[in-house]
Amino acid sequence: MESPYAIEMLNITKRFPGIIANDNITLQLKKGEIHALLGENGAGKSTLMSVLFGLYQAEEGTIKKDGEVVKINDPNDANALGIGMVHQHFKLVECFTVLDNIIMGVEPVGPMGFLRKKEAREKVIALSKKYGLDVDPDAKIEDITVGMQQRTEILKMLYRDNEILIFDEPTAVLTPQEIDELMQIMRNLAAEGKSILFISHKLAEIMAVADRCTVLRKGKYIGTVNTKDVTMEELSAMMVGRNVNFHVEKKPATPGDTVLEVRHMTVASKTHSNNAVKDASFKVRRGEIVCIAGIDGNGQSELVYGLTGLEPLTKGEIVLDGKDITKASIRKRSTSGMSHIPEDRHKHGLVLDYSLEYNMILQTYFESAFTDKIGFLRRKNIRNFSDKLIEQYDVRSGQGSITSARSMSGGNQQKAIIARELDKQPEVLVAVQPTRGLDVGAIEYIHKQLVAQRDAGKAVLLISLELDEVMDVPDRILVMYEGEIVGELDPKKTTQEELGLYMAGAKRDEVKA
Amino acid sequence: MKKFLALFLALVLCLSAVSAFADDLKVAMITDYGDITDQSFNQTTYEAAKAWSEANGVEFLYYKPASDSDQDRISSIEKAIDEGYNTIIMPGYAFGPAIQAVAPDYDDVTFIALDVGEGDIGDLAANVPANLYCAVYQEELCGYMAGYAAVKLGYKKLGFLGGMAVPAVVRYGYGFVQGADAAAADLGLTDVEIKYVYGNQFYGDADITAYMDTWYANGTEVVFACGGGIFTSAGEAASKVGMKVIGVDVDQAATIDGLYGEGITVTSAMKGLAATVNAELNALKDGSFVGGKVENLGLVGEDPDANFVQIAPSTQYADGFTAEDYAALVAKMFNGEITVSNDITAEPAVTAVAVDYQGNIK
Amino acid sequence: MKKLLKREGVQAFLASIICILLGLLIGYVVLLLINPNGATESIVKLVQNFFVSKRANLRLKNFGNTLTKTIPLIMCSLSILFSYKVGLFNIGAAGQYVAGACACLYAALGWGWGWLPCMLFAMVIAAVYGAIVGVLKAYCNVNEVISGIMLNWIGLYTANTILSSVKETASPYTLYLDKENPSALLPNIGLDKLFNNSTVTIAVPMALIIAIVVSIVLNKTRIGYELRATGINKNAAKYAGMAENRNIIMTLAISGALAGLGASMLYQTGYMRWECTQSSVPAMGFNGIAAAFLGGLSPIGTIFSSFFIQHITDGGSNVNTNFYSSQISDVISSVIIYLCGFVLFIKLTINKMISRSDEKKGAKN
Repeated sequence: MESPYAIEMLNITKRFPGIIANDNITLQLKKGEIHALLGENGAGKSTLMSVLFGLYQAEEGTIKKDGEVVKINDPNDANALGIGMVHQHFKLVECFTVLDNIIMGVEPVGPMGFLRKKEAREKVIALSKKYGLDVDPDAKIEDITVGMQQRTEILKMLYRDNEILIFDEPTAVLTPQEIDELMQIMRNLAAEGKSILFISHKLAEIMAVADRCTVLRKGKYIGTVNTKDVTMEELSAMMVGRNVNFHVEKKPATPGDTVLEVRHMTVASKTHSNNAVKDASFKVRRGEIVCIAGIDGNGQSELVYGLTGLEPLTKGEIVLDGKDITKASIRKRSTSGMSHIPEDRHKHGLVLDYSLEYNMILQTYFESAFTDKIGFLRRKNIRNFSDKLIEQYDVRSGQGSITSARSMSGGNQQKAIIARELDKQPEVLVAVQPTRGLDVGAIEYIHKQLVAQRDAGKAVLLISLELDEVMDVPDRILVMYEGEIVGELDPKKTTQEELGLYMAGAKRDEVKA
Repeated sequence: MKKFLALFLALVLCLSAVSAFADDLKVAMITDYGDITDQSFNQTTYEAAKAWSEANGVEFLYYKPASDSDQDRISSIEKAIDEGYNTIIMPGYAFGPAIQAVAPDYDDVTFIALDVGEGDIGDLAANVPANLYCAVYQEELCGYMAGYAAVKLGYKKLGFLGGMAVPAVVRYGYGFVQGADAAAADLGLTDVEIKYVYGNQFYGDADITAYMDTWYANGTEVVFACGGGIFTSAGEAASKVGMKVIGVDVDQAATIDGLYGEGITVTSAMKGLAATVNAELNALKDGSFVGGKVENLGLVGEDPDANFVQIAPSTQYADGFTAEDYAALVAKMFNGEITVSNDITAEPAVTAVAVDYQGNIK
Repeated sequence: MKKLLKREGVQAFLASIICILLGLLIGYVVLLLINPNGATESIVKLVQNFFVSKRANLRLKNFGNTLTKTIPLIMCSLSILFSYKVGLFNIGAAGQYVAGACACLYAALGWGWGWLPCMLFAMVIAAVYGAIVGVLKAYCNVNEVISGIMLNWIGLYTANTILSSVKETASPYTLYLDKENPSALLPNIGLDKLFNNSTVTIAVPMALIIAIVVSIVLNKTRIGYELRATGINKNAAKYAGMAENRNIIMTLAISGALAGLGASMLYQTGYMRWECTQSSVPAMGFNGIAAAFLGGLSPIGTIFSSFFIQHITDGGSNVNTNFYSSQISDVISSVIIYLCGFVLFIKLTINKMISRSDEKKGAKN
């Protein structure tokens, strides 16, 4: 009898020093279904997929393909079994064409070693017609949209006749409209008999597209459910382990006078010749949260760099509390009342090999509270200060102040940064993706802190890629597209669809600062 | 680590217990900054001392100091003494300060220092200890022989490439000039020219080779390469144009010919290092050793092979200058018919040749 | 036991010891391959170094020799270590060492300065020399390894040229300090009598104190905090408003000062004279790299590692030349020094072994 399952991972256990990343996990993917793998960051999704791809070997458990036990020692074995994956960060050669990228590694070659691109092109065009994957085979990757890049990745798998397709967080980089298109493509693929594994932590998408869903939590297998039979709240409870309030509670904003004013900011890009931020102007007032929304890579990072002094402006001014800080150093901005929760807490936010207490004084170590007149650190004061923040902001770590920042969980690392930044009593708080990669509980906490800042009469500038966050947290939304601010929206009056049109560049207003 | 140290200490004690030996001759040699494969001073001394020790059934070992410094040379000497060696052979003037430091302290050890002169041993020169024998050589004599031979062999454009202008090298050079001058006068030649330069280092390199290239290109026929490894520059330049060189200190014919082509070495001006080592070790063995002096070694008789300064047996004798001519020259020099000035304070007076003193290359 | 093994310091120590033993083992095998007869005697004598002497006063004297040569090595490895902690690989320490040697010798022989001014001058010149690397790195984005290596050679030939004016006419060496200007010799503060060796000087306690000071500066002061943060995470340091460029220049200047001080602490003992025709950069700066790693990148650790490396190097001259040519001692000590660079690798292996046994234990439970 033929097995109904395309791939089965049975009772997989994988340990790392100190933690069990996968504890007796079973995942069965039926032929022709869309199967979601749901879990928070650190739930063990990536480890499980690495086991499937032969990057790790499980200590226990078996993998079956079409009912037969297989051994996957490396990614080549996985490819041979017809398993393909669209990674969160695409693995494409920027300066090659779509077609070149698709055939790379499996180029059809004639007897003399010449490429036979014609055959390949026909196959690619046929595939894209069949599944509704709209691409231009001769366009260069660097010239096409993210959505088309993703379709190229999908075609790569199909070109290799992969039967089992894995999508790792595929919607993170897409606009709402592109997400809808992707969902349709996934349905087409499944209808044609492909089996799809869809890794995500976005419940709405799972409910919309998946047939079944397997939930992991903290390395453990929680269960597999038919999405038709459950509600979003039930799924969420399975994922988090408790009921979560999705909505941010907040009073109406009472904005005061302007604290931060940006006029005609232009910042050069490090990756290409265009300016990453073009002539952006906006104001942030006391007692409001302003959110800069947009799809990743539309100049938000550079805007923050320019604002906080990490990169120089090529044009424009920044005024903080009435003082021009356009040319001021990073430290000057920090001491004049700007706090910055950086986008990448490992790159910028923390010195991972420093202890927690040393990280708590990262911007204030030189103040007389922490350094004496001769230049020695006042270790006692530092310890007291750090203990105070740990207590106040509930930062949890193995050994308190002396814990190495590296050994802390992502959520607590972020809490430590927030504690540090908020304790500086800033006039304006620049929070860049403050909830990235955090679990629901931590997200809730951070949102509350942002609102508390607002209510205390401070200005908050939030930069976010998460639609839910953009809709829920701020009092005003500014949408960035290709380095320009293309729209100002009121979150209470707008819809996700309208926001999506702005984010995709399909709609724009003249925004006056 | 402490345990390690304790272990070593125990080992040391054991070793010292067994090595109480009879008062036999035990010979050690210390190398200067060079190595026993330097095809020069160290190698000649090493080979002679080793051959003698093997022939006489005497224990022999050589030591290489940990670094090129007086302190480490002293340390090597003392190490050798500590291990029971009672005769220390040291080739080269670099040992001067080390000798001053150790010779007075170890009067039961014999020190034989080659090419170490009064000027090198400082205060000891006034009253040389009885356990110290220093030998210097009359380089001007063999330099004279080489210069004489070269001109007699028909070379008219000569060159002298010294290492550094240390006394020994200058004596070689001035002897060479005097010899060439005498030969030219003998032959009634007036067109013999000598170019004279120091490399300011004891090894050849690209700059010195380039300098030599210019010489040879401008007609120089043979260069006396006088100083350590500097012959490589002269040899390389000579081989490019089929010209010749003259070796120094030891018979370098095999070495230079091996590197730069058969027949390139006309002759070598030699010091009798091996002869000194043999003579002094023999004297020590039969009890006739007399220390306490700095001896200036040169000619001891009319037999060329018995002298401490010679030109090499491999000399390319020809009609102009035969082995017999050489023997006759030595005889004349020994019996005083020919005198060679050893004054290095002024350039030697010449009558027949034109000398072009070019100073230092670097 | 395992708990002990997991401690950073214990691991560093263990890794260093393993490297040393591994190096000795390979050295021994090399000796065995060349000539099995003298191998055991030679390797034992090599490790013994000065302990080989039967006379106590000789042992002490040779101990003093090794000690004197250890000092510049300590300083060079401190120089490497200091930069390394700030994320810079100061291969230019060798050149800064040369700059220091040139400065102190010229000040002593050319100008007749006393020991302390000479030493300070060496420090300043070497600091400036190091700062050049820093400026190139900070403002022109020139990799410090490349500019460091270039400056090593520039320094060497400049030193040769400058010091040629204070060298002996009949040799390539600079004049004797003790004859020309004894006031430039470092004071012995009685150590010469203790060790029966006139080259053991105030440099010995000074170097030890400097190692401790470096340790304190790195770990307990604001500057150390800032510099180490820059070293561990340049981006975070920039984010925190630390002046990255100034820190790079300052770090390399301090590194240079340490290396230059090291040179002064050797050449001003009269142990060595500068050879004005040398055509390779003194190995001190490079051996400092090995010493820094062998010492577990701890300033105090470098004291011991530097001593060990110098001990082995000196002990190399004990290898029996009846069985081996004298160069073999360099081979053996180089092998050992080379393996010292594997400390981090060994540490990694230890950690892997611990975690593997943890995993196994986990599997059983």
